[in-house]
Formats: sequence, structure tokens, C-alpha cells
Amino acid sequence: MQPLAEIVFGGLFQGSLYAMMGVGLALVWTTIGVFNFAHGALMMLGAYLAWTLTAAGLPLALALPAAILLMGGAGWLLQAGVVRPLIGRPNLVLAVVITTLAAGSLVENGVLQAFGPRSKQLPPLVEGSMTIGPIGVSLHQLAIILATPVVLLALWLFLTRTRLGLALRAVAQNEDSAQLVGLNVAALYGLAFALSASLAGLAGIFIGGYRFMSPAMGGDPLLKALIVVVFGGISSISGPIFAAYLIGFLEAFSNYAFGLYWTPAILFAVLISTLMVRPEGLFAPRMGKLA
Amino acid sequence: MSAPLEIEDLVAGYGRVTVLHGLSMTAGTSGNVGLFGPNGHGKTTLLRAMSGLVRPSAGRIRFFGEDVTHLSPQAIVGRGLIHVPQGNRLFPDLSIAECLALGAWTRRARAVEDENRERAAAIFPRLAERWRQPVRTLSGGERQMVSIATGLMGAPRLLVLDEPTLGLSPRLKEELAEAVRAVSAAGVPLVIVDEDVELLLGLAKHLFLVNHGTIGAEIRPGETIGHDAIMAMYFGH
Repeated sequence: MQPLAEIVFGGLFQGSLYAMMGVGLALVWTTIGVFNFAHGALMMLGAYLAWTLTAAGLPLALALPAAILLMGGAGWLLQAGVVRPLIGRPNLVLAVVITTLAAGSLVENGVLQAFGPRSKQLPPLVEGSMTIGPIGVSLHQLAIILATPVVLLALWLFLTRTRLGLALRAVAQNEDSAQLVGLNVAALYGLAFALSASLAGLAGIFIGGYRFMSPAMGGDPLLKALIVVVFGGISSISGPIFAAYLIGFLEAFSNYAFGLYWTPAILFAVLISTLMVRPEGLFAPRMGKLA
Repeated sequence: MSAPLEIEDLVAGYGRVTVLHGLSMTAGTSGNVGLFGPNGHGKTTLLRAMSGLVRPSAGRIRFFGEDVTHLSPQAIVGRGLIHVPQGNRLFPDLSIAECLALGAWTRRARAVEDENRERAAAIFPRLAERWRQPVRTLSGGERQMVSIATGLMGAPRLLVLDEPTLGLSPRLKEELAEAVRAVSAAGVPLVIVDEDVELLLGLAKHLFLVNHGTIGAEIRPGETIGHDAIMAMYFGH
């Protein structure tokens, strides 16, 4: 009973973090058709912004929304600086891989310069722990498990129920037609990046509350987000979300059954065999769509 | 009042390829305008320059007297110059209703959204039956109808239709031509490009031949011209 409960809890927790990271990556892919390799650095920046604000004396309840808003601005700037100028050029996808990698590295080393390499930690969302059945869980992790579906649901409602969300989904499908109904494509691209960066920042704050933060902390989550997005299918938002939880559970199970060191290899084995059968991803619809 | 559309010495193209070589025309003062001419001679480029998708390298486009040459597509749509592109894929995963809602994105159009939706539903009863269906599940003809209906939602002061009947079966072509006539009868001035000469002659009294990136000939209202004469212009003598 106890191992099962540990696996379920661990899977839900990891899945939540992966979903939060993956959905931001997928949002940018589905609207602009590029991969943002600075996504991990954005995640780290969100954690450091929140840390700076809490270190200045702000309670986390204020620092968190403030950091997320700032991250929206950072995403917008990143888009305007290294993505927008390349739109419409040949080799857009590859060029953006390079420019976002460069921007990510710049942010990472900038943070290293500014804050130094010493590990930092954010206060948890909720202090304390509790017992659920046979296992003890931290309330921080429980809060993440509960908050993530709410955030994802809000994103889904925004995309499917609001006019602006409709516009974001449209620009993903046909840029020319989007312009011809009067959508401001540049602003929508900026919005997609801003939303994506905010989600990354939130993931960073989640992670920073239970693990030590360092300027390089975004590397592994970026890798996991890439796995999740490719595994779930890069052309939708819902695909990566399902995939995130699936991978979370798989990872938790593999950690328990085969041990920590085997887990990455097992994850990649599952990813590769899935892609051999379904190259478009596990949950991909036939065509690109956002929600 | 200035003409809806005045174009002066327009030069435009893609990269190093110039397609329009100093095209000039004044249109819209006397009803619908028809454009015809061989493929690859600049009709679509002209329309894309009008809607701001292609940046002209020289020349001027005026819309009701206002210079719109270097405005963004967004600003041009906002002024009521609505372009329905050729073979429009639209937004494959959006429903018809969602496409129409997007069509009324600009502030001008949103004010009359409900009115325009009713008008579109009346002109395209076929669409009203399947409001919630995604565009990608529609036939080519139906998609073309959604495309025009989306254009109507933009509250056009001038509606530009690029080959609305391209690639359709004769029966669907007739249905669509009927709809385009209904759009025109509802008081929306049209600029229409089509290879179907009968359709053009039926809709527009003012015709332009677009040839080698300029206006090769102009047929003013009142001048009669037969199908054969137009065919002769297409193919040259």
C-alpha cells in the first residue's frame, strides 16, 4: 500500500511540474512554430525574481504574482528581441533554436553574475506537512499538485472561451488569414511568449520552494519539458499535459522499481519506442491546434 | 467624395522578383470592379498589396482618399478594406462560428457583429446549419463560403474577393456566384478577381485587365464587351 501511495503522490507531483513547464513550451510552439530553448532559463529567472522580492521582505503571496507579472514582461522582451526579427526568414526554426539558446545562456550567466553560485531557497507555498493514509507529504508539494490543474484549467478556459484566446488559437493556424481579419500578429506572438514565460516562472517558484535554486536549475526541467512535449505531441496543449502526468507516473514508478539511475534511460526508451510507433506524439490530433 | 480605391504607379513583388511594374487604376466609383488576366501577371499581388500583406516598393494606394500604402494589414482591415484571399484555408480547427467571430475582430466590425452574422447566415444558409463544425471538415465550396462570410463580418466598405469560385464544381460555382451576387445586392461594393468571365461580366460593370504587372486594358461602365473579346485579351492576338 505504501509504495503505491508514494508512486501516485510522486507521479502527481512530478507530473504537475512537467505539465507546467511543457504547456508553456507547447503554447509557443503551437502559436509561432518555434521551440524556445530559453524556457529553462526563464523558469530559473522566475524563481530568482521571486527570491529577490522575498529577500527584500515581501511575503510570498505578493512576491509570487509580482514575479509572474515580471516574467510576462521578460517573455515579451525575449520574443521582441530574438524571435520577432526572424519571423518570415528562411530557417526560422533553426535560427530560433540558436537565438533562444543564446538568450538562455545570457540570462543564466547574468543571474550567476548578479546572484553568485551559492544555492538559494524560496519559502514553500504552504509550510508544514501532513499524513495522507500511509505516507507523509509536504503541504508545499500538495499545494503544487492542487494548484497546477487549476492553472491549466484557467489557461484552457482562456484559450477556448475568450476572444483573445480565440485569436491566439487562430494565429497558430494561419498567419495570413489572421492578419486579414485584423489580428495584430506581432502582439499575439508577444502574448504567447509572455504567457509561456509566466508559466515557466511559476514552475520555477514551485521548484525553488522545495529544492535548492541555482542559475543552472533550468536545464533539467527544460529537458523534461521537451520530452513531455515531444511525447505528447507538439501540436496541441492538451497532449503535453496528459504526457506530463504519464511521464511523472512512469518516472515515479521507475524510481521505485528500478532505481534513480535507471530512470532517465527508461524514460528515453519509452519516448523513442513511442515515437517509432506514433511519430506525431501520443496524443497529437491530426493537425496543429491549441486547445 | 474620393474614389474608394486609387492606385498610382504601384511597384511591388517578393524579394528580388518585381511583379507589379507601376500599376495605376481608379476604381469603385461606379459599382463593382472586376479584375481579370492571365495567371502570374499580378492580380493576387495587387490584392495583397492593397491589404498590406505585401509592402509596395513604390507608388501609392488610397482608400477613400486616405493613403494606406504603408499601413499594417491590421490598420487596413480596421478601415474596412477586407480581403478574402484565394483558396483560403482559414483556420482549420476553428468552428464556423469562431471564424465569423474573428471576422468581426476590429472595433468597427464588432459594433455591427450581430447584424452582420444574421446577414451572413441569410446569404449562406448552408453554413447556418453547421455553425459548430470545424472548418477543416467542410468541403472546398463550403470553406469558400465561410471565407466570404468571415469577410462580411469585417463590416467591409470594400470587399476584395480573390477567385471565389476557383476549383469548384459547376453546380457549387453557381451557388457561390449566387451568394456573391447577394453580397453585392446587400450593398457591399466588391473588387472581384475570377477566371469565370461570365461571373465577372454579371457582377461588375467596370473591368480591368491585369497583364505583365500593369493595367493592360480598362472596360468602363457603359462600354459593352463580349465574352469573346475578353478571351482575346487573355490570350492576345
